[in-house]
Amino acid sequence: MNLKKSSSPNQIKTPSSIEPPNSQLPPKVAALSSTEWLKANLFSNTFNSILTILSTAAILLIIRGLLSFIFNPLRQWSATATNMRLLMTQAYPEHQYARIWVSLGFLLFLTGVSLAFWRAARSVLISQVGKRLLAIGAFILLVTLLAPFSDRATIIWLAIGVFIAGTGFLLKSAQEDKTISSMTLLSGTFLLAILSLWVIPYGHHSYISTRTPKILAEPGTVAMTTKLPWTIMLAVTICSYFLGSLIRDKIDESKGKALLSMTWLISPLFLLFLVLRDPDFDTGHLFSTDIPIFLFFSIVGSLLLLWLTNPDIGEKGRVISTAVLFVGFATFLFQMLMIVRILTLVLAFFALAAPTFSGQKPARIRYTKVWIGTMVILCWLITAINTPSTAKVPGDFFIGGFAITLMIFFFTMVLAFPLGVLLALARTSKFPIFRMVSTTFIEFIRGVPLITILIFFSVMVPLFLPDGMDLTEIAAVTIAFIIFEAAYLAENVRGGLQSVTRGQHEAAEAVGMTNAQKTFFIVLPQALRVAIPPMVGQIIATFKETGLLAIIGIFDFLYIARSVIPGQTEYMGSTRENLLFVSLVYLVICFAMSKASQRVEKRVGLGER
Amino acid sequence: MTENETASSIRGDRDLANAQDIIVCEGVSKWFGDFQALNNVSATIKEQEVVVVLGPSGSGKSTWIRCINRLEQHQEGRIMVDGVELSNDLRNIEKVRSEVGMVFQMFNLFPHLTVRDNISLAPIWVRKKPRAEAEEQASSLLERVGIPEQADKFPGQLSGGQQQRVAIARALAMEPKIMLFDEPTSALDPEMIKEVLDVMKELALSGMTMMVVTHEMGFAKEVADKIMFMEGGQIVEIGTPEHFFTNPTEERTKLFLSQIL
Repeated sequence: MNLKKSSSPNQIKTPSSIEPPNSQLPPKVAALSSTEWLKANLFSNTFNSILTILSTAAILLIIRGLLSFIFNPLRQWSATATNMRLLMTQAYPEHQYARIWVSLGFLLFLTGVSLAFWRAARSVLISQVGKRLLAIGAFILLVTLLAPFSDRATIIWLAIGVFIAGTGFLLKSAQEDKTISSMTLLSGTFLLAILSLWVIPYGHHSYISTRTPKILAEPGTVAMTTKLPWTIMLAVTICSYFLGSLIRDKIDESKGKALLSMTWLISPLFLLFLVLRDPDFDTGHLFSTDIPIFLFFSIVGSLLLLWLTNPDIGEKGRVISTAVLFVGFATFLFQMLMIVRILTLVLAFFALAAPTFSGQKPARIRYTKVWIGTMVILCWLITAINTPSTAKVPGDFFIGGFAITLMIFFFTMVLAFPLGVLLALARTSKFPIFRMVSTTFIEFIRGVPLITILIFFSVMVPLFLPDGMDLTEIAAVTIAFIIFEAAYLAENVRGGLQSVTRGQHEAAEAVGMTNAQKTFFIVLPQALRVAIPPMVGQIIATFKETGLLAIIGIFDFLYIARSVIPGQTEYMGSTRENLLFVSLVYLVICFAMSKASQRVEKRVGLGER
Repeated sequence: MTENETASSIRGDRDLANAQDIIVCEGVSKWFGDFQALNNVSATIKEQEVVVVLGPSGSGKSTWIRCINRLEQHQEGRIMVDGVELSNDLRNIEKVRSEVGMVFQMFNLFPHLTVRDNISLAPIWVRKKPRAEAEEQASSLLERVGIPEQADKFPGQLSGGQQQRVAIARALAMEPKIMLFDEPTSALDPEMIKEVLDVMKELALSGMTMMVVTHEMGFAKEVADKIMFMEGGQIVEIGTPEHFFTNPTEERTKLFLSQIL
């Protein structure tokens, strides 16, 4: 016993005497000189040297091939440039184009404020920026030497490359600790790009239908309809960022973030169906039908939910909410407005969830407020969608091109996510019927190629619909995307659910939580955090899969580039140029998404275990 | 020894003889597959009593304590907790669970919530307390377990001992009548065991009904009113600490004590 006691203080002391004091930093590893770096990383042995030489040759060949394709005088790049509006929005009427800019401006405003609220800015070392610029400059020089430019162009590009590399070289030797915000860098880059629209003579095309060559290249800078809106967009984004940083310090940050997230979810719907589609509201119908329905559901629903969220309600509440659910299903047996059926079902859902969120007065009022908010949004949207649009567009949908790609992507993600979570919960549930239905659904959907599902929904489903029910092709394929992605997301979420330990379930049960509370407050938040990396992969894949719309003949981004533009008499055989442009856009967006997701992963990892 | 005497003198104030029975087990048996984990366990625990369950590993201590708030289901016999019999009726189980606090060996704090939210979540959503009141209660409970300054940290940022104290505060936030401790110090480093045991002692002195599965013999000697010794899924011996540690009747108890002391 004595021996142990005397030895234990020694044991505690020894490590502290060996370890360096806290203030001492680890020794700096001397940076390799460039020749040493080359030797260590590229030419460390014969085999590696051969590999290095071969791959360098291959890369140079590929760059040269690509450049000679791009800068070949035969290329009709004007096909892409003159058809930009078609590529982006298809036949959206020109005189209403301000609506597009307003929508984009609002989204950019949200982006700016969100960047400020989520503190996206990082400080970057200026010497690091210098290194990056030096590399970019060197790359431009290399590319210029490889490209089949005219002498004049070569000299201009060489000058640009030397200028960038020189700036980089100067910045590289800046003081060690000088930093710059990444937002300043980003806005500076965009500012230069927009400025170039006003200064550099890119040229533009004029279209006059009475002239013999209808389309004619004009010298000078790009058209006013391009450079002016983009300048305003940049100003909006930068201003909203500063506005966001100002507001951030004044209000409760977490509330601001919640509000922003809600706006991100809801605003695309409003922009699409109220701003872009511009419904031609019929005042008489509005006051005789739509507003009374809204008032009825908000008032009756609020009273019902206030009563149901009473903690002492007990069994009576469950009976009443189940009755509402049956009424909701029964509405489909009778002739009535679709909006009434939908709202009754939503009310039933809120009623069934009421016991989970029951509590004292503030909690009950909050729940009722959520109900009224849902009613406002749902009634407004359903009414807007059922009203004819002022935008007179050929075809059955008012927008196309890149806009419809984005729209279908947005709806797929927003609706597939909750559906996927529900499927995952059902698949891991204790009830065999839920488990069976969900497993069958997931395995069936995952066993069928997406294109088959898309064709099935665009061709077959409209034929099977009952009389009086109408589904546009766009709605049908969106549903197809939703169920397909939901099945995959469900598997990702299921992985997350299984990673939540048994101890967490037990701890939640031991404090008396109901199953719903345990799932909502304890299990799902942890499961979704684990599922973020695979889900982001799935989201990026979904964005790329929207390209399949082209195959079933929807006027999406890819279809216009591949079939519509090459069909114009002026631009026959311009498919490759358009496809190269389309792939560049997809590449930029997917790369940005995957970069952003890496940062999100890092952030949610904070304070995890 | 002086500490011991003060403890027992404070505990002596309670009238255990006239206290109500709060946990009653009658012939409880449980099997995991073919393996019988509990074999006809019968015992009664009175209000304000502190019971320590001892026994070698695999003797069914944890299984028994987990049956009392139905984290495990017993297959034979009856368990009554505060007058409510545990059955498959969900409402009974939720009622019992909100009156029985439990502290786990591995803490099982919710890693995605701050310490304050860990404590106030169940009072808000199960007890339906207003948020402000629940958070105030969380602060005072953290004060009680001695870590008021950690309220805004995440569990992952705390030491093991601090985490276990938060877990105790989380269980206390439901204002339970009974506290179950399932080997609360087994996953802790030796220097952190004392801080957790001190909190448990304070709790015992305040008159909480406690059932503790532990290997801390010092705690059992000092704080327990009753010691139950289990082996092979059966209760072998029940007695006061004096009786148990100085003069055990059963052969198996003597063997167990000779191995650990």
